[in-house]
Amino acid sequence: MSSTPPATPAATPASTPTAAGGSPAMQSRHLSVWFGKRKVLEDVNISFPANTCTALIGPSGCGKSTYIRTLNRLHELIPGAGLAGDVLHNGRDIYARDVDPVTVRLAIGMVFQKPNPFPSMTIRGNVLSGLKLSGMKRPNHDEIVEDTLRKAGLWNEVKDRLSHAAGELSGGQAQRLVIARALAVQPQVLLMDEPCSALDPASTLKIEETIRELAESITIIIVTHNMQQATRVSDYTAFFLAAENEPGIVVEQGATTEIFSNPQDPRTLDYVNGRFG
Amino acid sequence: MTVAPQDLKPRALVSGASFNRGDRVFNRVITLAAFTALFVLAGITVFLGYQFIPVVQEQGLFFFTGSAWDPAAGRYGIWAMVYGSILLSVIALIVAVPASLLLSIFMVFLAPRRVSAVLTNLVDLMAAIPSIILGLWGFWVFQQVAADWSELLNRYFGWIPLFQNSSGNFTGTPFIAGLVLAVMMIPITTSVTREVMARTPPELINAAESLGCSLYSMLRHVALPFGRGGLIGGVMLGLGRALGETVAVFFVIKLVFDVNLFRILESEGGSVASMIVAKFGEANEQELQVLLAAGFVLFVGTLIVNLIANAIVGRTGRLSS
Amino acid sequence: MTAHAETILPPRPPAPQQSAGRPWARRGPGFRLAVLLGTILPPVPVIAALLYTDWPPVTIFVAIYLPLQLIAACAAAISQRGTRAAGDAVIIVLAIGATLLAVIVLGSILSTIAIRGYQAMSVAFLTQNTLYISPSTPLGYGGVGAAVLGTFIIVALATVITVPIGIATAVYVTEVRGRAVPYVRFFVQAMSGVPSVVAGLFILVVLILSGALAYSALAGALAYSILMLPTVARTAEEVLKLVPEELRTGALALGSTRARVVGQVVLPAARTGIVTATILGIARVVGETAPLLLTSLSNDRTIINPVGNPIASLPVFIFDKVSLPFPDAVARAWGAALVLMVIVAILFTAARLLSARRFAKS
Repeated sequence: MSSTPPATPAATPASTPTAAGGSPAMQSRHLSVWFGKRKVLEDVNISFPANTCTALIGPSGCGKSTYIRTLNRLHELIPGAGLAGDVLHNGRDIYARDVDPVTVRLAIGMVFQKPNPFPSMTIRGNVLSGLKLSGMKRPNHDEIVEDTLRKAGLWNEVKDRLSHAAGELSGGQAQRLVIARALAVQPQVLLMDEPCSALDPASTLKIEETIRELAESITIIIVTHNMQQATRVSDYTAFFLAAENEPGIVVEQGATTEIFSNPQDPRTLDYVNGRFG
Repeated sequence: MTVAPQDLKPRALVSGASFNRGDRVFNRVITLAAFTALFVLAGITVFLGYQFIPVVQEQGLFFFTGSAWDPAAGRYGIWAMVYGSILLSVIALIVAVPASLLLSIFMVFLAPRRVSAVLTNLVDLMAAIPSIILGLWGFWVFQQVAADWSELLNRYFGWIPLFQNSSGNFTGTPFIAGLVLAVMMIPITTSVTREVMARTPPELINAAESLGCSLYSMLRHVALPFGRGGLIGGVMLGLGRALGETVAVFFVIKLVFDVNLFRILESEGGSVASMIVAKFGEANEQELQVLLAAGFVLFVGTLIVNLIANAIVGRTGRLSS
Repeated sequence: MTAHAETILPPRPPAPQQSAGRPWARRGPGFRLAVLLGTILPPVPVIAALLYTDWPPVTIFVAIYLPLQLIAACAAAISQRGTRAAGDAVIIVLAIGATLLAVIVLGSILSTIAIRGYQAMSVAFLTQNTLYISPSTPLGYGGVGAAVLGTFIIVALATVITVPIGIATAVYVTEVRGRAVPYVRFFVQAMSGVPSVVAGLFILVVLILSGALAYSALAGALAYSILMLPTVARTAEEVLKLVPEELRTGALALGSTRARVVGQVVLPAARTGIVTATILGIARVVGETAPLLLTSLSNDRTIINPVGNPIASLPVFIFDKVSLPFPDAVARAWGAALVLMVIVAILFTAARLLSARRFAKS
């Protein structure tokens, strides 16, 4: 593995992949992240155009998951967490002193690797839990439940047992329930941290369909280990890499087709062709 | 905006709670409630200490070193009771420590799994028996048996000062009270020692067995040294409870304000906790203050024992209570 | 004496066979002979002692049987495997002996409570108070009704006071995770060592002697709370720690406030565990006597008012009657002990079943 300095051309803010033009929905600028004294990410600059899907790929331990958690301020919950640079949402710095992290997380939803429906609530209760937990007022709860479950591709499977405990769903169903739950608070951005890595291929396919559909109306940022998945669902891709005992950096980013068919950096080429990682 | 990356300093990450008024109130209420334990401990120290100081001023060193309960003369010394507490605890320890160790050895290393599970439940049930019931049993059932034992001990070993008895009355002795305390201590201590022994890493046990170690040398060289801290801590926790035990001792000891140094079959003894209950009923104002001062001494004593116990247990890894 | 001791010790087979059989792996004829002798010889003098002395069975077990069994097991072990096996034989005999003794003690306690307590049982005993009842009044009149009610009131008040504080303490440690966590845990641990009589003295001096509160159920409940809080707080902490971290981050990612994460996700997820913590807290205090002797005293009437006057309770009921020189009064004490023990056993079983269910789920 080469250990060239991080200042590759791809890492400058100018080279954003905003083919669609206009201001990006989310953007990180010169973002560096620490756990205590250990720097895990250095100078990450990525723009996420609105209503697109961006995949974050790279070998494990390169800081992808840490990065995605900085985008809705979940990173700071870890003791000793540190951060430098900005994260902009619709042009506003979400780490500014006067920003309430709760409102940030409300606008920027998140789906985790392991499905985490609330076991003490029903299926319906889980879908509506975001409204309850955030205190958000939205009328027509029945409509929201049906609408979001349809978007998450789960409606037909659970419409007759909405009042059952969420614990009886399978892993794939639980993950789609969690997606529905995240959608119910109408986020503008949805972060997904390896949402399919704990699921079987059939469920993975369903969730990928869901992601494709959602990407038409909201901005999706997905961390994935699966390069086929990245090519199937994403419009843009950013490749993260960390040399041993060095913080992670973004080696290359751009349109997914470009990254996978014609990567500029040899390391990207090696990675997407499965030579390491 | 155009700062070079190397100039960037980590930003202060604002805690999420400070933005929401509900959360701020929540945090404050929870934090306040979490300090209840401190308030209570401080309260006990201050209020009992406040009664303790004038008693010490009045009685002087005699309060600690003397042995008297003389309301007429206004002289009070609790040394016999303090010493009694220690003597009873030592007797209880001598019985309860080996018993607890042997019980846990049986449960962890010898018994079939099912027997061991049943025994664990029985030991926990024993720990749940209220001390007043132990006192009742001690007074009406066990005292008779133990007095018989005492008589036998006295008959055959009476030439040892330890087993002397001058009155021919073998009830109300430190021996019996110590045994009742041991019955109380055994389940408390066993539940800790059993857990400590069960945590002996199986690879160490396997290693010992593959070397052809006998059970005895495995215990001696692997299990006991490995769990030493936890075992001592468990014993100290039991000791803390024994020191503070009140009613179970009250029924089976004859309170005498005279130091019984070691003649454990003599019908005289005492303990601070049982003295408090014994004297409370008819206490006048001054006696009440002395009782509160004695309570302070008991509080400080048990607190020290428990802190040492917890420090030892805590150092060897957390144990569920 | 002998007749008395018979109630303690249920009839027992003369020799626990397994004690002699454990330490040997290879079995030859010599081994069999050693086991046979080791099993048969020790009980002989035991039977002789049972027949020809008036020593109680427990004494014979401890003073004659155990030493003989030890010697026999050692001799057998040494004859078969050399001196190294003797240590094993000693430990095995002693461990089984200690276990048997503990079981005998527990059996003695439970069986005497059951047998003697049963003699006092009647509808009147369970429902009446002790007004107009003197220590010599025959059984059949007067009982623990008022004491049961009093214990219930005191424990209920203590639970209402303690459980919210205990849960809040646990929430501080596992959810708020403030800087003072190590200190809070330290104080809770230290508090768990407060002797029950000191808890009573504290309430006595702060609230009763100062005139703020009468000797009453509330005073007793406050003293109980001091003893109950550490148990509730520590158990609640353990169960909150079992709530998966993903649920918390999941709720936060939905834009939840901290308070709502705790109230609507964490605590509901730990519901069973919190009930268990409450039950364990109640079981810890329900039989405590010393604090009530100093704070709620006793009362022959049936009392409902928790603040105005002294109130009867089961432990104090037992305490008052244990050493009275009247058989019927003592019988009442045993009856009350049976009622108390049944309550403790119910709480104990409930806690066991609940925590078993919790572990089966996770």
